[in-house]
Amino acid sequence: MNNKFDALKDDDSGDHDQDQGSPKDSEKEKTEDEDKEQNTSKKKMVVPGAGEHPLQYNYTFWYSRRTPGRPASTQSYEQNIKQIGSFASVEQFWRFYSHMIRPGDLTGHSDFHLFKEGIKPMWEDDANKMGGKWIIRLRKGLASRCWENLILAMLGEQFMVGEEICGAVVSVRFQEDIISIWNKTASDQATTARIRDTLRRVLNLPPNTIMEYKTHTDSIKAWEDFHGLVNASGGR
Amino acid sequence: MSTSRQLSESRAIPTRTVLINDTTQLPHDYCTTPGGTLFSTTPGGTRIIYDRKFLLDRRNSPIAQTPPAHLPVIPGVTSQHVLSENRKNEANNHINNHDGKPTTGESDNVELVCLICAVCCS
Repeated sequence: MNNKFDALKDDDSGDHDQDQGSPKDSEKEKTEDEDKEQNTSKKKMVVPGAGEHPLQYNYTFWYSRRTPGRPASTQSYEQNIKQIGSFASVEQFWRFYSHMIRPGDLTGHSDFHLFKEGIKPMWEDDANKMGGKWIIRLRKGLASRCWENLILAMLGEQFMVGEEICGAVVSVRFQEDIISIWNKTASDQATTARIRDTLRRVLNLPPNTIMEYKTHTDSIKAWEDFHGLVNASGGR
Repeated sequence: MSTSRQLSESRAIPTRTVLINDTTQLPHDYCTTPGGTLFSTTPGGTRIIYDRKFLLDRRNSPIAQTPPAHLPVIPGVTSQHVLSENRKNEANNHINNHDGKPTTGESDNVELVCLICAVCCS
């Protein structure tokens, strides 16, 4: 099951050339151990410092990268995605952001993820299971500015959809870049409409930019179809 | 069509009292109140809302200049040095040529491309 969810993220770009999954059971154990390590080394709750401006939620930056062409069995998901750190205030956000490369300067097949603390940037997280995402494909040259505007809007609570926002992703791909924003309830049309309207307002996109909403379950089905897989209930 | 009426529940407008002891606790912007902007009030509390300009203005605060503790070293991704170039004026000048309204707080560096005419400003 992990295979589908992990490779799901690549589905954004239509880039189906590989699968970054790995054997399920050992994968799960390793991930938990790694979480424990990360937890013990960063056991302190992130809180705003004195004089800093608190955010409505704490957030965590993640980074992932894939080497195209590598067979799935030699790569595990946890090797590809890494926590950069968490923050609880505006100033702490800038400390991270100012010390990270802009998406437009990333090489290869890379992603930045910015998710609320406690929500993993993976479909299988409880917060994402019933959710979906707006995706916007951008030609090269726009990702840095659009990503910045997107995350500033998210951190500043501009979307006004209660608890629905899970996080945002910027995906650097071969000939295009993709930004996306994930929310918890794909079926909540009022929420998805409001997110779309906010995206239009805050992103200043080129005219004729297409925004597409994908439920995570639809993305998984598409992945399965492409890979000719049979799903858990034996279909197809 | 039903002839019965339903009266909606009446409720007092939610308010919040924040005690401050010193004028230094007042926010610097007139549009905010201590603890967060009140213009989006929901029963039971307020949300902390920041607009883009406010967030960008905090970028240069002294606290934000040092890298966070335990920043992972990922070559090509993270840096111990601040990465920022502000091309605010260039971008604003270019955008001015289009409609006379500068977009606020351009903070792009490498790919400064006008979204109206796709001309690169960098």
